[in-house]
Amino acid sequence: MIKQIYIGLGAFLLQFILVDILSIKMIRPDFLVIYIFYFTLLNAKYKGIILGFIIGLLSDLTGVGSYFGLTSLTLSLTAYLTGFLNGKYERLLPYFFHSIWVSILLLHFYIITYVRFQILYESSTLDFLFKFIFTFGYTMMFFVVIQFFFPVKDASRAQIS
Amino acid sequence: MRNLYLFFLKYKDHFIFLFFVFSSFTLLLQNDNTNTIIIRGKFSDKLSIISSPFAWMRSMSQLEQETKILREKNIQLTLRIESMSNANEEHKSLLKLLELKEDSDLELIAANVVNSGSSSNLSSITLDVGENHGIKVDQAVLVPDGIIGKTIVVGKNSSIVQIINDVNFRLSVRILPSGNAGILRYLENDICEIRELQKNAKISIGDNVVTSGFSQIYPKNLPVGEIIEVLNQRGSFQKVAKVRIKSRIGSLLHAFIILNDIEID
Repeated sequence: MIKQIYIGLGAFLLQFILVDILSIKMIRPDFLVIYIFYFTLLNAKYKGIILGFIIGLLSDLTGVGSYFGLTSLTLSLTAYLTGFLNGKYERLLPYFFHSIWVSILLLHFYIITYVRFQILYESSTLDFLFKFIFTFGYTMMFFVVIQFFFPVKDASRAQIS
Repeated sequence: MRNLYLFFLKYKDHFIFLFFVFSSFTLLLQNDNTNTIIIRGKFSDKLSIISSPFAWMRSMSQLEQETKILREKNIQLTLRIESMSNANEEHKSLLKLLELKEDSDLELIAANVVNSGSSSNLSSITLDVGENHGIKVDQAVLVPDGIIGKTIVVGKNSSIVQIINDVNFRLSVRILPSGNAGILRYLENDICEIRELQKNAKISIGDNVVTSGFSQIYPKNLPVGEIIEVLNQRGSFQKVAKVRIKSRIGSLLHAFIILNDIEID
């Protein structure tokens, strides 16, 4: 647990310090959602929700997100939904399992993109969709890399302590 | 009570989730609240201590690229200033030409210098006017500062001008106010000498030198230069005066050709 908290601190610092370097046309990767996702799979759902809220709050406080409370909301929601996947890999069809966690991340990014780019959504839906897909896709690139070292299915099999 | 506790414990995930969703929405709705802004500001100040070394490293890494861009910009601006300065000089020169044309009774035609000549034994320039513009051989060429030469070859649309610094160029001049006349020839570095001056001629440094009018090419009283030295050689029957010509021969861009037929006085 302590180790995971340290990883969380690392993820937060990574998000806070290095995210500008990795920024492409104002689109930044979201390491916090990756961390909360894995943390919830490895731990109890409520712990993920609490940590998601706290980390989201810290992220909003640092100005990484322009809407105070938005990241807390989306990370709590991601943790809550991810919690349902705990130990479910064996019980669900693999493609269904993978579709669910991808959908959870899609929802996370859709909410963030929708709130931040409401005006774009109203003026040009196509541009909004591109923005949403790029934001999601950019973080997914990092997610896929992490997948090689620590697959989601392995994390899901972990027993709740 | 126990049942309520057990109920809460059983569905704690949902309750916690609802609590934090509610909290998040509350925070979202308080975005414009002054207290929220103050808290965010203070937190940002504290965190800037952590982020400042990284920001410094980033700025250092960008410094080299920024310096390169600034160097390029500097060169571009220097060239632009140079170009504007040249344009300003040209503008002044053209204004002087315009004044000369308006003030003069002579019939003048303006021309651009298109070539400075490459002949090894003839100092010449090429003008972009020729027969089609009424130019003939042996017509005087001048600039606002004075006479600079005469046409020696005339084509349909261009003319070659023998200029004052050619070794074979001679010009009949008069020194004012004394009125003594002599023959001018070029020496070096915009300095000419006037020979055939009377021994008893009263010539002073600073006297003006103008064309004498004893010529079918050059009208009288056109400026040429000013006296800078008078040489009174012992045993010689003549005086020699040195003249600095006013026209900057080496940097001619425009010139006028006098079209009038000249009558000798």
